[in-house]
Amino acid sequence: MAQFTDEQLQRKIQEGFIVESEADMTETYKKALIGQLTVQGDTELISAPAYYMAARDAPSTNTMVSATAIIQDEMGHANIAYRLLQDLGVDTDYLLYDRPPEKFKNPFGFDQPLANWAELVTANALYDRAGITLLSDVHRNTSYGPLKRALVKVGMEENFHLRHGEVWMRRLCEAGGEGRDLVQRAVDWMFPMGVEWFGLPDDRKRHNAQLDFKLKGMTNDELRTTWMKAVVPLCEQLGIRVPAHSNEETGEVELEYELPIAWDPDDRVWLLDETITWDDVWERWRARGPMNEEFVDSVRRSRFQVESLLAA
Amino acid sequence: MGHLSGEHLYEIFARQKREDRLEHVGTISAPNAALARAYAWQTYDEQKWFEMVVAPRESFEAVNRDEEPFTLGPVEAR
Ligand SMILES: [Fe+2]
Ligand SMILES: [Fe+2]
Repeated sequence: MAQFTDEQLQRKIQEGFIVESEADMTETYKKALIGQLTVQGDTELISAPAYYMAARDAPSTNTMVSATAIIQDEMGHANIAYRLLQDLGVDTDYLLYDRPPEKFKNPFGFDQPLANWAELVTANALYDRAGITLLSDVHRNTSYGPLKRALVKVGMEENFHLRHGEVWMRRLCEAGGEGRDLVQRAVDWMFPMGVEWFGLPDDRKRHNAQLDFKLKGMTNDELRTTWMKAVVPLCEQLGIRVPAHSNEETGEVELEYELPIAWDPDDRVWLLDETITWDDVWERWRARGPMNEEFVDSVRRSRFQVESLLAA
Repeated sequence: MGHLSGEHLYEIFARQKREDRLEHVGTISAPNAALARAYAWQTYDEQKWFEMVVAPRESFEAVNRDEEPFTLGPVEAR
């Protein structure tokens, strides 16, 4: 390692250099890449038990097939991210099976229970949209060749998840009555989760190695805006209320509350008027949501039992 | 590495149509070739492949470079 300095590597990357192996990296680059891949792998992995919790509410064998196909895709995506981490010398057995659950880096939204079919499809439309927003930016811009190539498969499958979510949201909304109410209630708590998905605003996060080394192309605020420009018009079309609207004159989407906002974990509602600080948000993220331990446990609980069978 | 995560890395190659060239599509870790075939087929199911094959990474022979296969990352001694 270290055949380049950070400045040299950044310059080469800006000129189009693609990093292919550890020998091309600096320590800073490698650390930033490992951080990015860990968030990616953990988010994909924990989406599986989260979606599975709601998939048990699938209304038919057909819908169960499409829900479990999505879960299978997510496990595959997690596998790909962890495989890339292994190539960087990361002990993924530790990450998967020994790491304390609170150290998993999935967003707060995936620490929450998904209670029914309407919540599953809304998650597909909102959270998988967040995934596509982040990963398609990485795919377009990343300087790490192995990741760029691996994301071709992931992108194809994520688009299927998104379509599944949007088609089903529409079906439930068009049915009206209880179906529409369930979608509205799901969007009420999931929309601000999605807004928060993209992390700290740009004015709070000045230096960013992921941008310097082109591990991604867009800033947090740019990614958040891209996501809102897809999600808000969808909700407007469906007649689902969101605390944001499209401004027809500017073509922009405007949030109707001031970030960040407080989350009431008991009633599971956002307090849109209660302005808090980003430090408070950090605290909430660090304290984790109600399903954190259970979701992590669900992907590891049988590991050591089967291991002992094989060793016998 | 334990029994479940497997001791070997397998590189996965596939082509979509019979006239396509075989391309590297991914990597899987498995304890043996039979499981590597199963894992590869289940995990990389984004296309209806005409053909898919797996090969252990450690079987790669470098032709013109001294180090390990360049784009596949370092082989770990396991
Ligand atoms: Fe995914
Ligand atoms: Fe997905």
